[in-house]
Amino acid sequence: MRRWALARLRTISGMTIATAAIHAMAGSSTAADVELGRYLSSECTTCHGAAKADTTIPPIYGLDQRHFTEVLRAYRAKTLPNEAMRSVAARLQDEDIAALAAYFAAARPR
Amino acid sequence: MTELTRRHFGLLAGASLSSLAMPSLVLAQGKPKVVVIGGGPGGGTAARYIAKESNGAIDVTLIEPQKTFTTCFFSNLYVGGFRDYKSLTHNYEKVKKSGVKVVHAAATAIDRDKKQVVIAGGQRIPYDRLLVAPGIDIKFDSVPGYSEAAAEIMPHAWKPGAQTQLLVKKLNALKDGDQIVMVAPPNPYRCPPGPYERVSMFAHVLKKKGFKKSRIVVLDPKPTFSKQGVFAEGWENHYPGMIEWQDPKMHGGVKEVDAKAGTVKTDLADYKAALVNVIPAQWAGKIARDAALVNNTGYCPIDAASMKSTVDPNIFVVGDASIAGEMPKSAFSANSQAKVAAMIIRSELTQSRAFPARYSNTCWSLIAPDDDIKVGASYEPKDGAIKATTTFVSQKNEAAELRKQNYKESVDWYNGITADIFG
Repeated sequence: MRRWALARLRTISGMTIATAAIHAMAGSSTAADVELGRYLSSECTTCHGAAKADTTIPPIYGLDQRHFTEVLRAYRAKTLPNEAMRSVAARLQDEDIAALAAYFAAARPR
Repeated sequence: MTELTRRHFGLLAGASLSSLAMPSLVLAQGKPKVVVIGGGPGGGTAARYIAKESNGAIDVTLIEPQKTFTTCFFSNLYVGGFRDYKSLTHNYEKVKKSGVKVVHAAATAIDRDKKQVVIAGGQRIPYDRLLVAPGIDIKFDSVPGYSEAAAEIMPHAWKPGAQTQLLVKKLNALKDGDQIVMVAPPNPYRCPPGPYERVSMFAHVLKKKGFKKSRIVVLDPKPTFSKQGVFAEGWENHYPGMIEWQDPKMHGGVKEVDAKAGTVKTDLADYKAALVNVIPAQWAGKIARDAALVNNTGYCPIDAASMKSTVDPNIFVVGDASIAGEMPKSAFSANSQAKVAAMIIRSELTQSRAFPARYSNTCWSLIAPDDDIKVGASYEPKDGAIKATTTFVSQKNEAAELRKQNYKESVDWYNGITADIFG
């Protein structure tokens, strides 16, 4: 299910079916804690703060929340490679990921 | 009590009755003050984050004697010829634009009773909270015969700047057949994989010059070192027979270095080398020692949940000078610790939300072109110390493509963290 949703996200943007699957997984009943997201984001900026479209470390400001959520969950599930990102994601709870996704979707670099 | 008065209650508590009749004046005078000593990865990050995240509600002053800062991290890539010196040097213009007052002077003392920092010339800068990030000092006398003067001939190059340039100058002047000796440092020291990445860069330069007869001997006071298995594999792959690493049982201890003679004596052998790189033991920067923020280890004990000094509740210590449990002394660690300290300091001074401390670190090391290894972990406070929650380290026999990717990632990280520190 999760792998499928990720694959759909990567290949087809705006697919209703993929979106529905992610919303179901996220259980989006509570609003994301953006202030928590802002604090947690400081761990991300160490590496991602100067990222550009063509860098190995990708830019994450302005990312679509659903995409952001799915990618971090995939790192947490160790279905995406990169040990540093797996380590970062390992301790993130669903609400942490939601908070980060909400923060980065709207934030600009510090 | 209203939100406004509760917020400033601590400051008002010491005010006179007449002052209380003019709360706006008191508030204007009472804008909380944070002073940061040291404009490196710890201090620069903390100053910027406190200023930016508080939106001007906190007065932040950064005290740093140098007008530009050359990073120690990535300086090995300068040694190996992968970067130029200028690319490691950063200024404080964007730090100032973040709302930080930058004072280019040496902090000479901390008056903990008066909550003031004394700078060269005698001026005193008051603080409500002080963040101390002086990095390390070299313990020259930890290696017999070594001294600050000897370092002009046998560079340590473990603090950025002229020492690193001297090391590179000596490396580039070597002729085939000249020997290199490194005296490696004892734990705990800045950048655990650093000496071994440096050895790799020495070897890379010798190999690139086509030298056949030069050798590198590493005299280590430690029985093991960071990422040892993958370093050893890389040395064998890229530089077979060139590097001889000796643990303490093999050399018996370094007995004396003689800078003028260019010799290093161990219990079991004497070495004469054209380039001797002595990396002595280290301890917290002088200002932290003078202010009695250190314990008998020479480093500063801190509260694992906040980076607050355990000897003074108004002082935080981050970076290499701190005793940060399982976190290595690295720029990444300092940057991570600074963000926790900044968050707690803001919370104490402006009642912003405090969150549980989370720390992280990754150290990349280049063995040869496009062969880069890494080690890292996530950390949290546990039972009074900072402990790793997850760890990872490069493995032997990894794909060349992964190692190449690591190198690109490290370059992106350098750009990211220096933007995080210096704006």
